[in-house]
Amino acid sequence: MFETSKSFLVIRICTILFIVIGIVLFLGSRHIGLVFLGAACVLWLIGEVLENGKKHLIEVLKSGFKTIRLPLAGIFLAFFIGGIFLLITGYQPLKSFGAMIYGGLVKNWHVSILNAVPLIFTALSITIAFKGGLFNIGAEGQYYVGTMAATWLGIRFDLPSLVAIPLIFIIAGGCGAAYNAIPAILKVKTGAHEVVTTMMFAYIARTISSLFIRFNGGDPTLSAHAYITDSISESTWLPTFKSFLPQANYRLHIGILIAVITALAVHHILHRTRLGFEIRAVGLNSFAARTQGIAVGRIILITMLLAGLLAAFAGVTQVLGLDHKMFENINAGYGWNGIAVALLAGTSSIAVVFCALFWGALDAGGQYMSRTLQTPTSIVEIVKGLILFLILARYLFRYFRRKA
Amino acid sequence: MWYAILILLILRKLIVAQTVLETLGISKSFAKIKANQNINIKLYEGEIISILGENGAGKSTLMNILYGLYRPDEGRILLNGAEFEASSPREAITKGLGMVHQHFMLVETLSVTQNIILGEEPRSWFGINYRKAREDIINLSKRYHLKIDPDEIIANLTVGLQQRVEILKALYRKARILILDEPTSVLTPQEIEDFFSIVKNLRDQGTSVIIITHKLEEIRAISDRVYILRKGRITGEFITRDVSVVDLANHMVGRDVILQVNRTNHETLDEICFRIDDLKVMNNRGIPAVDGLSLYVKPGEIVGIAGVDGNGQEELSEAVIGTRRIQDGAIHLRDQSIKHWSIENRIENGIGYVPADRQKDGLILPFSIAENVLLGNQNARSMIRYGHINRSAIRNRATKLISRFSIVAGGPDLPANYLSGGNQQKLILAREFDREPDFLLVSQPTRGLDVGAIEYIHNQLITMRDRNVGILLISMELEEIFSLADRILVIFRGRILKEFEREEATMNDVGFYMTGGTHRNSSNV
Repeated sequence: MFETSKSFLVIRICTILFIVIGIVLFLGSRHIGLVFLGAACVLWLIGEVLENGKKHLIEVLKSGFKTIRLPLAGIFLAFFIGGIFLLITGYQPLKSFGAMIYGGLVKNWHVSILNAVPLIFTALSITIAFKGGLFNIGAEGQYYVGTMAATWLGIRFDLPSLVAIPLIFIIAGGCGAAYNAIPAILKVKTGAHEVVTTMMFAYIARTISSLFIRFNGGDPTLSAHAYITDSISESTWLPTFKSFLPQANYRLHIGILIAVITALAVHHILHRTRLGFEIRAVGLNSFAARTQGIAVGRIILITMLLAGLLAAFAGVTQVLGLDHKMFENINAGYGWNGIAVALLAGTSSIAVVFCALFWGALDAGGQYMSRTLQTPTSIVEIVKGLILFLILARYLFRYFRRKA
Repeated sequence: MWYAILILLILRKLIVAQTVLETLGISKSFAKIKANQNINIKLYEGEIISILGENGAGKSTLMNILYGLYRPDEGRILLNGAEFEASSPREAITKGLGMVHQHFMLVETLSVTQNIILGEEPRSWFGINYRKAREDIINLSKRYHLKIDPDEIIANLTVGLQQRVEILKALYRKARILILDEPTSVLTPQEIEDFFSIVKNLRDQGTSVIIITHKLEEIRAISDRVYILRKGRITGEFITRDVSVVDLANHMVGRDVILQVNRTNHETLDEICFRIDDLKVMNNRGIPAVDGLSLYVKPGEIVGIAGVDGNGQEELSEAVIGTRRIQDGAIHLRDQSIKHWSIENRIENGIGYVPADRQKDGLILPFSIAENVLLGNQNARSMIRYGHINRSAIRNRATKLISRFSIVAGGPDLPANYLSGGNQQKLILAREFDREPDFLLVSQPTRGLDVGAIEYIHNQLITMRDRNVGILLISMELEEIFSLADRILVIFRGRILKEFEREEATMNDVGFYMTGGTHRNSSNV
């Protein structure tokens, strides 16, 4: 690969660079960032043509269009049905949805992005497990472990940012992976189904988190801090865009950048490396994988560890980037929502980014809508549920068509 | 005169049993595969018939049609002379058809009584009338001599008793026709004896029984008539007592036109590249499936293992490639013991494997041809370097193999599930050949393929042999063994029963040993 297509590699690296620069500038409220993102798209296309030829590209685009068609239709249909609900209950659907779109995409777009960051990580965690034929339903638990580890380290670390932040990512990610190692080993050794075990572990982590908060500053005798840990030291905060682009929103942190790069990395691992090949092989047909010399148990273990690591990253970015402390019972269920995003993205790690942004925008828009129009936010949940249902109906549809 | 004829007719009516079930020209296809073609069978009252055929011959399809799980594409079924078309098993049951599946459909935690009445519970004012149910079952078990404790929990019963419960379940639903799918495959020899007497008893009380099996001895032991099913067609119908086991085997395995194989003579090297000594391997139920098997393969020869399906062939090949644990004995590749090697190690050190189930063990169907070529070559530096896949390299390799093995495919990016069965098999062969193994285990390489593909694959195997690869060929198709093998080993109950040189073997002799080598007298009738 390195000998045969150096130009390809250069183009790929440029693409990633352009994506990063584009995101940074765009989030810094500079519209030139969009130009960079557009250029990145073009570069990606050129790279594809270089490697696989024109014909292949056209096929990829065609199939991409085909796969995106149905979910899009599903989303529109979900909004339509949601609108009917609004009508019946006496709200104005057009106005409400207008406010939602305005809030999610224009007024509070930075909230959408902040919402999307942890979702990208948890959805990636579920996606990678999915590719390996596993259902990491307990990403919520690994998220909690990541949050706790990051908080614990953040409070204690007194190191320069450049050392502290990567260290926290590594250690907390490792904790998430280690936490998922137990269900993974149970799965490999005894065949215990990961859906059950990881879900149980999610509740365990959640319960432990309350204790953790008590031990790290949450003083039950003080009503003000009963449910909150101490703040992490400022050196461990993720840098915000505002620190180098003064026009940027003050809450936007570089977590989104890390998330997008992670998504690209996951995509690369799954489709370009031996490990990813083996993960996909095990996921699609573990019998053939085994017969062809792949150590299925080892791959399952690695897949689960990676899934745990990614879910923990969600917690880390949330603590280091946004909250700077840990709250009790104040989480948006990123683990569970990650499942929805992963399903919506159809197990493509690139699509995960867009779907997470969409999901985040739904939440942000919903909050804006309820604040300005008093339309209840539950309509957002209804729309989300409908979307999921319609997306899963697609699988059902396919299943029945195959049977007939 | 007239009276005599009339009396004869009446007598005939009385003597000749009533037809209870008849199929007329039943056909069923799945996609391109014709699972059943123009099947005509008849079942009389109080009779046991066997339907004999190998795996994939279409037995299960036929039974599922009778039982209402599938709808035939063509043909009719007559039940007691009336048109019968079951659209669900439930309907089939109400019309007197009972089925005992190979894998029992019992709730392990419930009692015998509860299992038997499940779905047909006798009602009382307050729910289920267990007392009546219990009495009914005791009466039933007395009538048919099926001794069972109605209060025992299923999980505590032996497999033989569980089967009894299944039979009772059918009888409780007033089944007049009982379909038994591979009934003895899970039983011990003692239980098989009991089972035979139970079935005979059922017959004597007027129940008609259809037994689906691929075990030849059983057919002789129990059934009145036998139909042989091969590749979806009925290839023979016999009164059991008039037919020898060898004849049955020959009909079942088939004697199609021997295909044209350019089989040249080839000197085998005088060394041993692969050896198995006294191998013992368990099947999934913990019963020895390979039991003291020994063989050797020299470079440049094809050793064929002939045998009826289910005599340990599957377990043997799994033990060789490493997906099944070896209980005892040794396997040597050249001079090294590979017993404790990982599968990866075995592949890398020159063992090639063409599995019997190509779609399950051989390919990953959603993967592209190129990715399937990569499969099993994860350590090849030409394809993967520094943990990264060299896409253009695997694509080039795949393109080369596609043209070299004349695989009909659009290109290396086509997913393997778009390939026909023959081309899928060619792809597997291509991948294995490309690794240049020293020893190749080939199991059922041409099952379900058309004549052209079979011929191609046979010639490729000969080519491999001529390059001094040692090939162990496992096949249920006798004619395949005969057209390829240099030496023929007959496997029976997990052992090599007999060894033939190619020149001295005849189909009759091999067929004789395939059935255990104890029916010589009957075969001479």
